[in-house]
Amino acid sequence: MIDIVITGTGIVSAIGVGKEETLRSLQEQRSGIRPLRYLKTEHHEFPVGEVQLSNDEMCALLGIDPTKQPTTRTALMGMVALKEALEQSGLSPDQYPHIPLISGTTVGGMDKSEQYYLDFLENDSRNEYIRTHDCGACTEMMADHFGRFKMLTTLSTACSSAANAVITGAELIRAGRAECVVVGGTECITKFHLNGFASLMILDKEPCRPFDASRAGLNLGEGAAWLVIETAEHAKLRGAKSLARLAGYGNACDAFHQTATSNDGEGPYRAMKQALECGGITPDQVDYINTHGTGTGNNDLTESEAMRRLFGEQVPPFSSTKAFTGHTTSASGTIEAVICILAMQQSFMPVNLRFHDAGQCLTPVHETTKKPLHYVLSNAFGFGGNDSALLFENEGMTARNDNSSFITPNSSLKKVYLLSAAQISAQEPLCDDWKENPVALTEPLTRSREADYKQFIPPLEARRMGRILKRAIATARKALADAAIETPQAIVTGTGLGCIENTEIFLDALCREGEDQMMPTRFMSSTHNTMSSIVAINLQAHGYNATYAHNTVSFQSALMDALLQLRRGAVGNAMVCAHDEMTPGYHALLCKSGYLAGKKATECAVSMVLANENNGSAICEVAGMRLLHRPTEAEKQNALEELLAETRTADYQMTEGYPELFGVNYTTPALDVYAAAHLLNVKPIVVRYNDENHYSLILLRPCSDC
Amino acid sequence: MEELILKLKKEIIEVLNLEDIKPEDIDENAPLFGGEGLGLDSIDALELIVLMEKNYGIKLQDPNQGKEIFKSINVMADYISKNRTK
Repeated sequence: MIDIVITGTGIVSAIGVGKEETLRSLQEQRSGIRPLRYLKTEHHEFPVGEVQLSNDEMCALLGIDPTKQPTTRTALMGMVALKEALEQSGLSPDQYPHIPLISGTTVGGMDKSEQYYLDFLENDSRNEYIRTHDCGACTEMMADHFGRFKMLTTLSTACSSAANAVITGAELIRAGRAECVVVGGTECITKFHLNGFASLMILDKEPCRPFDASRAGLNLGEGAAWLVIETAEHAKLRGAKSLARLAGYGNACDAFHQTATSNDGEGPYRAMKQALECGGITPDQVDYINTHGTGTGNNDLTESEAMRRLFGEQVPPFSSTKAFTGHTTSASGTIEAVICILAMQQSFMPVNLRFHDAGQCLTPVHETTKKPLHYVLSNAFGFGGNDSALLFENEGMTARNDNSSFITPNSSLKKVYLLSAAQISAQEPLCDDWKENPVALTEPLTRSREADYKQFIPPLEARRMGRILKRAIATARKALADAAIETPQAIVTGTGLGCIENTEIFLDALCREGEDQMMPTRFMSSTHNTMSSIVAINLQAHGYNATYAHNTVSFQSALMDALLQLRRGAVGNAMVCAHDEMTPGYHALLCKSGYLAGKKATECAVSMVLANENNGSAICEVAGMRLLHRPTEAEKQNALEELLAETRTADYQMTEGYPELFGVNYTTPALDVYAAAHLLNVKPIVVRYNDENHYSLILLRPCSDC
Repeated sequence: MEELILKLKKEIIEVLNLEDIKPEDIDENAPLFGGEGLGLDSIDALELIVLMEKNYGIKLQDPNQGKEIFKSINVMADYISKNRTK
């Protein structure tokens, strides 16, 4: 049986730098919602929850010289919190190369992108910040400050990103792929999303009032929080003190709307229900819920409804701490997880500030309440209906139950088959005929050949979709039809840059024309999880849904996630997708940064259907994979040997991909796997990816060998 | 008013990217939202709020006001003609 404990936490938000100050603010009811101070914006009408440190002050705390290396606010806040978590865990830097680090963010390096965008276009003074834009770069900056970790990846599911980082970390531990994982999330306030949320008209000009009848929207917050999670055995062996147990978790998709929540709260309901089932407890055992509770009319009503559905008349005491911190968006999952752990340790329930009248919502905890807490649930919901819930257990209280679904015997691990795959790329779209007559890539940038989208997407839906979204739906529909599966049980997407076309249009208008550019539709489709969630909405797929945005290993991360779940039988089938688009403007910037200079840049859309049973027409078996961060030559060799031994593979071939067919973009490895699977003959094939930061191996095996 | 109605229809088609629809296809009295009329949704409502601000200088504070104003093209044109600042 696998027991996952938390041995270190770190937190920074508007209510404090570090746990001590955070706890004091919570207990003394000191809110961090204040007038804008650090962000340079015209929108002073909106109060925010800013971390009360400038970038220079954070650099000083961390011993970083900002003139010598590029830094972003998101990464700096992440480092401050990560330092506290690592120090408390007692891990030493020589252990980091054995520990995966998983972060969650959506903003990534946007604070510097919006500051220097015009420089990027006009001169060479800020070129080093072009590649700090993506979410993965933010994670790499944070990790590099402390040393080398075993593997790095980044989830970007909007406001549930950090919660999903915790879930992926726990899955790695359950699968025996790691004994200890560092998980967290970070996000700073930017002009980009402040203007975006303003255009959606969901920002309150007063301090927010979650669950109150007078609530009129959210206040943006910022911050970061990290957890060191490990097996109880590993913690015991190294003498680390456990702070709490991670008892369960759930991830589901509302599959309703890009920015609105459903009336019946299907996604939130499923996420919370799964978390309780995973932890093997009944609803009446939950002592406190830290809700998502943003303060928007829509969220708080939906969340109330989901709690009513799950808990009936006996809804546990709950509160939203966003009235303290503001909505810390991608970081909120772990910021609120750390708040839950502090609450359990101090036996109190944080109060829901500024509450007077519930109206149609449920009534939260609105007076300071001392109470021993055994089980605590923490909710994090994101745009696109990416809804997650984490369940924590106070170890100090009574003997734990044995109903937990963490009891997973390793011997029953299932095989995984690739049932179908569909692509839209530089080659003939939505078919496999490109092999006969491949298109040669001659230009520095070759856009994908578009398919006929009318057969997949009704015009009223299509009118708001950028190319990347149309490709996502078309490849998903085609792959599912080929696999004869109507609704996948999980959808996991990898994307290096997300909807970069909409992001660029929004950023360009913001930087050139100022802050009165209201573009709700562009903003709504600028998050990285838009593809995964729009496919879920199109298919009405309420199952597991996640998006990885870690530059060159986005697809490999998504595949790893799906494999973990398919192998242990959590799902029977899963769709793994990889999407990246490229605009001429952003292409020019990436050439300037060095990344695409002299290369044949392309775009990518791939959807693959995987299952843990062969339906008789599988293309091949996905026998195993490895994903490593800056491994040594010996570690690379070792990873290959381990993979071959684990899959009992003696004779194999190796490919580094097919750049002559599919060019270069962040998710080309998905096209490489697609092509390798179709070119596979009798021998297993290892698809290898290798760059200065990442190394991955994916082993495909013909079904005759399965 | 006729002129404003036609202008408004063209602007709505453009801003909401209603590719296959021509101004004459839109019934001035039909509801813009829901199944019976154009079938627009809450995001379209936000875009219409932006349109009113940019093209007519009308600033709505509460998105719920849109529900009344965007009932039909006629209602919207009437509201704009009474409240426009540009």
